[in-house]
Amino acid sequence: MEVYIAGKGIISAIGLNVDETLQSLRAGKSGIGNQTNLSGRRDNHLPTGEIKLSNAELATMAGLSAEYSRTALLSMIAAKEAMADSGIHINGLRTGFISATTVGGMDKTEQFMTSYIRDGEFKNIEQVLYHDSGAATELVAEPLGIKHFVSTISTACSSSANSIMYAARLIKTGVLDVAIAGGADAMSLFTLSGFNALMILDENYCTPYDENRKGLNLGEGAGYVVLVSEKVAERLLKAPTVKLTGYANANDAFHQTASSPEGKGNYLAMQGALKMSGLETTAIDYINLHGTGTANNDLSEGMAIQRIFGEQVPKSSSTKAFTGHTLGACGGIEAIFSIMAIEQKMIFPNLRLKTPMKELSFAPVTELMEGVEVKNVLSNSFGFGGNCSSLIFSKVN
Amino acid sequence: MSFDKAISGYVLIKEGRVMYNDVVLFQLPDAAPAIFFNELYNALHINYPKFFKMDNLCKTVFLATEVLLKDRSLTGKYKAEETGIVFSNANSSIDADVRYYQSSMLAPSPALFVYTLPNVAIGELCIRHGIKGETACFVFDIFDSVFQAWYVDMLLDTIGTKACISGWADFCDEKFEAFFYLLEAETDNKLSIKHNSENIDKLYNHVWTS
Repeated sequence: MEVYIAGKGIISAIGLNVDETLQSLRAGKSGIGNQTNLSGRRDNHLPTGEIKLSNAELATMAGLSAEYSRTALLSMIAAKEAMADSGIHINGLRTGFISATTVGGMDKTEQFMTSYIRDGEFKNIEQVLYHDSGAATELVAEPLGIKHFVSTISTACSSSANSIMYAARLIKTGVLDVAIAGGADAMSLFTLSGFNALMILDENYCTPYDENRKGLNLGEGAGYVVLVSEKVAERLLKAPTVKLTGYANANDAFHQTASSPEGKGNYLAMQGALKMSGLETTAIDYINLHGTGTANNDLSEGMAIQRIFGEQVPKSSSTKAFTGHTLGACGGIEAIFSIMAIEQKMIFPNLRLKTPMKELSFAPVTELMEGVEVKNVLSNSFGFGGNCSSLIFSKVN
Repeated sequence: MSFDKAISGYVLIKEGRVMYNDVVLFQLPDAAPAIFFNELYNALHINYPKFFKMDNLCKTVFLATEVLLKDRSLTGKYKAEETGIVFSNANSSIDADVRYYQSSMLAPSPALFVYTLPNVAIGELCIRHGIKGETACFVFDIFDSVFQAWYVDMLLDTIGTKACISGWADFCDEKFEAFFYLLEAETDNKLSIKHNSENIDKLYNHVWTS
C-alpha cells in the first residue's frame, strides 16, 4: 500500500503560502530578524523567524476568531491551503487531521498571566480555554469538517514528522482514506526563555553546520501535507507526483535534551526509514537536515549521516537558516521543502555557512541548485527526549 | 497460558497504591506525591540519583517502569531497537510547565524547562532501560484503550518491535496515576493476558477492595 502526497500548505517567516515560500527559497531570502510580536519582553534581543503578521491579520486569513491561539491560526492557514491544493472534497471519505504542536495555546496563556499577575484578577480567563495542545487541533479540525479522526502529537522537535508518519499508518492500516498531517507552533516567551536558559540560542543569525555555529534561532509556522491512499490517489484530478516511501522513529536513549555524540538515535531513524523505502543509500538525492545550528545536534546528525552514507553523502542542507527552528512545526514545514525539492528539481542552500565542520567529511550545499533531478529526499527531525524521526519522500515514476 | 502478543506484566499506581501483576506491592494512601514517590523509591531499593532531579511526571513514569521491569530486563532479551514506549495522558507536562513558568518570573530555570515536554519523560525511561525503538506520547481527554491497543499492536505487526511499554500516566494538580503494561510479541510468562482493549480496561479500572 502506497501513501501519496495530494496537497501541501505552509506558513513561516519566509512566506504565507507555498508560492511565497518557493520565491524566498529561490532568492535565498532568510526570514530571521528582530522580534516585533514579543517586543518589550525579556529575551527580546534574540533574533527569531517570526511571521510579520498580527493575530488579527492571521485570524482574517484563517477565517477564525482572533481570540484563538496563534498556533491554531497558523495551523488553520496552512491546513486550509493544503486541502485546497489537493482539490479533495472529503464528503464520503474517511478523513483525519493529525496535528503536532509543542506550545499549543501558550501565547494566550502568557497574555492572560501578564494581566493576572499585574491586576490579580481573573478577567480574560477565556484566554486559557484553549491552552492545551489538543485544543489547537480541534479548533482547526471542526471548521475543516473533519470528524473521523482527530489527534495531536507532542514529541518536541520531531512532533510533526511523527504526525506524518502516524497519518501514513492510519492510511496503510485502512483506518483512513485521507489525512491532513503536519504541525504548527507559534512563538512564545515560554519557549524563547526556555531555550535561552538552556544556552542553545544564537544571539546572531544562526549558522547551521558551520564550524563556528553558536546555536539556533527559534521560528514559528505551520506545515501540512494531505496524504491519500492509492484508491483516492487514482481518482484525483491532479495526479500525485510524490509519495511517502519511508519513515521511522527511534530513541537515542542518551540525554533529556542532547543527542549522543555518535547520533545513535539519528542513525536508527534514518536506517529504519531507508529500510522501509527499500532504497539503497545511493538513491537518496537530497537530505533536508534537522540542522538546528547547535553544536550538539549538527555534530551528532552529521556523524550519523557519515556512518550511513560513508564516502557518498548526498547533497544536503538545513533550511532552518531560512525559517528558524519552528519546533513542533519543523517536520511539517521541512516535509513541504522536501516535496518542493522533488517537484521543482531544486536543492535549497544552507544559508550563512562559511566554514564547514572539521569533524565531517561532507558539507551542506551553500548555493541554490536548479534543474537537478531529485527523486528521493530524506528529511530528519530530532527532538528532546531523544525522539528521532526520519521521513523519505520519493518521486512517483 | 501463552499467546502471540500478550501482556506479560503490568503495574497500576493510583490512589496511593501500587499493584504489580495482581498483587498490591506498596501502599501509602493520602501521602503527598513527593512523599509517596520517595517512599516508593526507597521501597524498591533503587539507586538512581538522577531520580531526584526529575519532575513529577517523570517520577510517576519512572517508578511505574521500575515496578514493571523489576523482575526482568528488556536489554537481556531484546535488541535496543526492538523495544519501545507508547503512553498517553490527559495533561501532557502541565505540572512542569507551571513550575517552569513560575520560575521564569525571576530567571527561567533550564532544569525545569527540560521537563516541559512529555517525551522527556519517555527519554528518561529510554535512558534508564536502554530502549531505542519507537516512542510516543499521545494526549487524550481520557484513557482510550482501543486506540492504545491498536497503536502498539501496529508497532509489533509492522516495524519489528518485540516489546513495548504501553499505557497511561498522568500528573496534574498533585494527583497522579499510572497504568503501564509490557506487551511482548512472544512470552511464556505465567501472567499472560491477551492484548485487547477489554483486558486493558479491566486492569486499568481495577477497584481496590480494602
